[in-house]
Amino acid sequence: MLRIVLQVIGIVVLFGAVTIITLKIDNMDEDGPSILFPGGELVTGELHSGPDPDWRFTDDIPVIELQLDNPMSSRRIFIMESDGKVYVPSGYMQSFLGRLWKDWAFQAAEGDGLAVARINGIRYERQLIRISEGESIDGIARKMATKYSGGAPDAVANIKKSISDGDTWIFELAPRGGATNEN
Amino acid sequence: MKTKSYLILCAVITIVWVATLTLVPAVSDTVEQLMIGFLSTYAQ
Repeated sequence: MLRIVLQVIGIVVLFGAVTIITLKIDNMDEDGPSILFPGGELVTGELHSGPDPDWRFTDDIPVIELQLDNPMSSRRIFIMESDGKVYVPSGYMQSFLGRLWKDWAFQAAEGDGLAVARINGIRYERQLIRISEGESIDGIARKMATKYSGGAPDAVANIKKSISDGDTWIFELAPRGGATNEN
Repeated sequence: MKTKSYLILCAVITIVWVATLTLVPAVSDTVEQLMIGFLSTYAQ
């Protein structure tokens, strides 16, 4: 009986391992991420030049593709516009699974933060700058609650607490070489 | 199940599952959605 139980457990573990390894390898050199697994360099799409657009158009876009230059990898991520600037969040930053899932956020915070965002097929060269305090947090939390939490009354407070506790990290997608945050 | 039969079964499962994940996008998309649901629940 024990032998059968161990064999069944072995097959379940095998399924999980094969799934993760296959999807990770299958996506790692793609032009963009899959739903969950990181992709490679964002290659296709016009490269934006000139002044920044009015970022409010991102209000209608649930997720964008975000590439880190170092290390080169891309993932799907939420986006919020607030006061003319754009931000991306990374949640679950204090849990074991979250740290495995959101390793890019640690790499962005500890590295140079150079990134490329592909939005509606257009690539924007940006620099990720972590925002952990300041007046901008209020607007970001409000937008995040409205856009992704259905505007529930306690959502803004919960998001602000999550940011101040360090469980959710917020990065500004700032122009390269010039931070526009107030921190 | 004897060890030899079990290892053959594992090899067959691996080959079929890898082929399915790489050749049938609907399957891999569904699996990834399930994995996101799992992570969103248990990565709190």
